[in-house]
Amino acid sequence: MAQTTQSTLRSSLQTVLNPQGQPTGAFEPLSMAPRFDSLDGKTVYLVDVGFAGGYEFLEELRAWFSRNMPAVETILRRKQGNMFLDDPDLWAEVKEKGHAVIFGVGG
Amino acid sequence: MERDSRNHGMNLRFSFTPYPVVGMSRSVLQRYIEGQDPISGKPFVPELIEALTKPLADRERNAEQVARPARPRLLEPDAEYNLQCLFLENGWTDGLPIVLPTHERVAEMLLGTSHAPDEVVGRMTVTTTQERIEYTVEKVAVNAVMAGARPEHFPVILAIAATQEPAFPSSTTSFARMVVVNGPIRDEIGMNSGVGALSPFNFANSVIGRAWTLMSINLADSRLGETFMGSQGHNLNYNNMCCAENEAKSVWEPFHVQKGFKPEESVVSLFRGWSVINSMGAANSVRPASEETVILLKAFSALRSAATLVMDPLVAKGLKDQGFTTKKDFSRWLSENVKVPAGQYWGADIIYAFVAPLARQGIEPFASWSKLPKDTLIAPYHDPGQINILVVGGETNPLWLTTDFVYTQSSSVDKWWPKGGIRCDARSIRMPTAVACSDGTCGIG
Repeated sequence: MAQTTQSTLRSSLQTVLNPQGQPTGAFEPLSMAPRFDSLDGKTVYLVDVGFAGGYEFLEELRAWFSRNMPAVETILRRKQGNMFLDDPDLWAEVKEKGHAVIFGVGG
Repeated sequence: MERDSRNHGMNLRFSFTPYPVVGMSRSVLQRYIEGQDPISGKPFVPELIEALTKPLADRERNAEQVARPARPRLLEPDAEYNLQCLFLENGWTDGLPIVLPTHERVAEMLLGTSHAPDEVVGRMTVTTTQERIEYTVEKVAVNAVMAGARPEHFPVILAIAATQEPAFPSSTTSFARMVVVNGPIRDEIGMNSGVGALSPFNFANSVIGRAWTLMSINLADSRLGETFMGSQGHNLNYNNMCCAENEAKSVWEPFHVQKGFKPEESVVSLFRGWSVINSMGAANSVRPASEETVILLKAFSALRSAATLVMDPLVAKGLKDQGFTTKKDFSRWLSENVKVPAGQYWGADIIYAFVAPLARQGIEPFASWSKLPKDTLIAPYHDPGQINILVVGGETNPLWLTTDFVYTQSSSVDKWWPKGGIRCDARSIRMPTAVACSDGTCGIG
């Protein structure tokens, strides 16, 4: 009996429904900004997105640039709100005044 | 992370340091910066500079839509054993065997509502910024079958699905959830709100809680190591503390009535947090439950001023005898009497992440609290409306659970009610009810 049951479990075909929902493909792709030949004379924003430790890390990264690549101007900023919120004002500022941006994640 | 950025429609260049960075001394952070990326093995800063100067590849210059193909409604026919293996291997289950969603079983489940199978119920994601996954009434029915539910449970499961909230949002912090049912449907489908309501004895509590888990896996694309990154995970994710409020034994108004529903409406209410503490002793035996709760609440971060108490009816009765006429009275008293040093509050990682930005924006009371000396006492549960109280239990001991759960939303079950009424099985599958001797055969009394 046990063998019969096992055999049935392994041979009798069943059709079942797919449990997964449907992807919606809602994102428009964004291409990357052009790169620079060199960062000399450029302004690089260092943006902390809000995870703990990120700001302190970027402070040290800024100090590294000051010591080792003084020709690069760095501006350290915290993104407004928590890590899940948008900050359009900061993105506008970066586009206007900066040449590049490094996001620090932390955590 | 690269996959994550592509899912957002962006190509990004990444450099990594050793993890974590939080809590590291400045000298350690300097070493990280001057060291190597542990993923690529390359020196960290040169890699960072290269990311900003190396010419773009074609795929970076011309980003393409990452569209995932539509998923077929049916799977390839196979033997039961192989299908069970397929579901497990594809990560479509909670690791336990499931009831296979055959045509017949799904069709039967759909008798539990009058809504059309192809009606879109919602879109869900475990990460708020990622692509949302769309699901219909039929997709919810498939997952309800897998959880072992019957048509009588389906309106409750649809109400949960309609919230579009996953049972375990993706976070390295490992969230837990709770779903609580109020209203007449609790009794109609035999939910347990009494003895052992939060333990694995009741059919309805078990399959409804499990259905939310399976929906989160399959309708929100929760995938271990991809979209689910909880470092430890959470055992409550198996069932999400699914229970009903014990309205019959409660001395206070039901939770859904507090939220504006009528007593005769059936409603699911959802909560989210991380931590649950048992009171570990009877109320009022040494200290009043009110004072004990103050002590327990100090263990939490008080994020969003949120806490949820799940108390046995005996605790509620005792508190009412103390003078807390309503749930709101007790919430207000807790809000005023739980006090912690400002330094303790601001020292919590979750407060740093979510509340410190509000303080920097000048939002009160956080802006003022951020200026206080570390040893100054503050009342972090400043909004009594965020302190929720639920009455659950069977009066075998006046105990309660103190949680850091925030209430997220309530959802109507009645909307999904079938026109012919709840469809229960002829032999209704209920829970083993708590033993209550009425003929003296137990030998007591």
